[in-house]
Amino acid sequence: MSRLSRASIATRLLLASLLLILLALPLSGVALAYHFRLSVTEAFDERLDALLKVVLASVAYDPLEQVLQFDSTLGDPRFEQVFSGWYWQVSDGDSQVVTSRSLWDQRLPVTDQRQISVRDERGPRDSRLRVIERDIRLAGIDAPLHVSVALERDELDAEIRRFEQLLAAALLGLGVLLLLALAAQIRWGLAPLRRMRGNLQRVEAGDIERLDTALPAELAQLAGAMNAVLDRDRRLIERSRHTAGNLAHALKTPLSVLRLKVASLPKETREPLLIELARIDAAVRHHLARASAAGDSGWLGSVKVAETLAPLLDGLTRLAQRRGLVLESDIPASLALSMEAQDLQELVGNLLDNALRWAERRVTLRIACDADQHRLQVSDDGPGMSTEQRSEALMRGSRLDERRSGSGLGLSIVADLVALYGGQLALKQASPHGLRVEVTLPATPHAIRDPR
Amino acid sequence: MKLLLVEDDQALATALGQALRDAEWVVEHAASGQGADFLLNTESYDAVILDLGLPDGDGTRWLSEWREAAIDLPVLILTARERWADKAAGFSAGADDYVTKPFETAEVLFRLRALVRRSHGHAHPVLRVGELAYDTHTHHVTLAGRPIALTAQECRLLGYLMHAAPRVVSRSELAEHVYDRDHEPDSNVIDVQVSRLRRKLGVTRIATLRGQGYRLVEGEAP
Repeated sequence: MSRLSRASIATRLLLASLLLILLALPLSGVALAYHFRLSVTEAFDERLDALLKVVLASVAYDPLEQVLQFDSTLGDPRFEQVFSGWYWQVSDGDSQVVTSRSLWDQRLPVTDQRQISVRDERGPRDSRLRVIERDIRLAGIDAPLHVSVALERDELDAEIRRFEQLLAAALLGLGVLLLLALAAQIRWGLAPLRRMRGNLQRVEAGDIERLDTALPAELAQLAGAMNAVLDRDRRLIERSRHTAGNLAHALKTPLSVLRLKVASLPKETREPLLIELARIDAAVRHHLARASAAGDSGWLGSVKVAETLAPLLDGLTRLAQRRGLVLESDIPASLALSMEAQDLQELVGNLLDNALRWAERRVTLRIACDADQHRLQVSDDGPGMSTEQRSEALMRGSRLDERRSGSGLGLSIVADLVALYGGQLALKQASPHGLRVEVTLPATPHAIRDPR
Repeated sequence: MKLLLVEDDQALATALGQALRDAEWVVEHAASGQGADFLLNTESYDAVILDLGLPDGDGTRWLSEWREAAIDLPVLILTARERWADKAAGFSAGADDYVTKPFETAEVLFRLRALVRRSHGHAHPVLRVGELAYDTHTHHVTLAGRPIALTAQECRLLGYLMHAAPRVVSRSELAEHVYDRDHEPDSNVIDVQVSRLRRKLGVTRIATLRGQGYRLVEGEAP
């Protein structure tokens, strides 16, 4: 029962119609066959009755000779052929018998019957006969005469069998056709449901935000209700994300105060406190990142690069101007990257920030795409780095120059992001001098975002 | 070097102010955008540390106003928001640098020094006028490679002159940038301190231009 209650709607509908077909078709088959048999037998009997009337009219009794006479030939020659299956017989139940030639030495059994009787009998050579019999009285004979006409049933039975076979084949065909049609109907009828399920999967995967409500009326309501739930979910996530973000941000100011206060303590008390503060800071950052990652669960696959970086470049261009530098960017207008918008901003922001700190006149950002990878280049015309410094800078988390702490951290964030998206980070010598940071990202990155 | 600290959190303002004073900065504090606005229009500073979450409006809004009013001094933004979208908004408003909370004091100091140095047109952290060298990070002063011991106040004074060189710096400008608003000395005190500096560096290294002020001079005059 429980298995049945979990069966799919398609299975249920199919099972129900199969039951209906298995019940209805045989029943109607039996009824049809019965009626057919009845009416065909009736027609057969009417033929027998007609023949009987001819035989009755042709029987006479010769009182002189005291013999029964049959003074006519029935139209059909089959009465003359031996054992043709067409027979008649007139008998008084005793010695007086007249038969068709076809009956030869055989006799039809008789019964005492006032009325016309029609029945099945065994005939010559074990054939199955349909016999009609009527008892009459003729002047001169005491005993009633049994007048019978018999025809072999074979013809009738064959007709009935043929019909029954045809009927069975037709009903079987009809059953199969009905099942196929029902299966198709169920499939067609449930297609909107499947479409909705596909839709829902895409919502879950984050490809789309809402369910399509262009559905049959019953499902459109359901999809509408689900959309309402999705919206509410989104609002809830948004709110808890904001709450988490606000909480984390609110903690940062007191954390800063604590750090400053701790910094003035003697070394032996300062160190353990700084370690604890670092732990709190890490926790705050972690939960902040998670809160913002939760909000980005509907990651829309790819971002328009120029659009995403526009506010960033706007701010950094202003910064460059204030520092007397030129920030040049070359981004194809239509370029899209399979990357989360915030990650892209983080990546480019940190690289440009670094470059702007070192540059003398000019910082260049270039993003281009090849067939299977995207290349992002940030070059400055500053002092650059020695080969040694470059390889040191690429070591994860290392700070190139403790005094320039910000820049070291920025590069390690960049390295993390590039690794996250399965790309590569290279530091090169810009010409004539300066640093060129090259990031190569696969066109279809295999980023695993959670947990950061 | 004089700095305006715009921060509404009293505890942070006190602690950061102390850390900055310990690093030879002259620090004045405003707890609101309105207060900062008033101070910026009446006093002169070398840099501003601006917290974004102010009680009377977002820090970026105040910064945009100041920039429009041609107040061009370097501004370091201090905020809890660390996303680049937020940073970019700060830069668009005219910020020069950005430090996120919780910060290392050393980082704030480092960035401030770099900002002030750059605003005076110096790229290198060690400022030089002839044989005289001043390290903006360590505040060490050397003359022809020989270290010179200076008091904190002398150091601030020389630091400002080094940043401004070869420009002439008036007494009042020097007073404004080297002393607290509430402790601005009369010009005699400055004269006394300049003459002490002269004794340590060599009399002719600081020229007095009558009616104009002081100027650092390259090389020992014959």
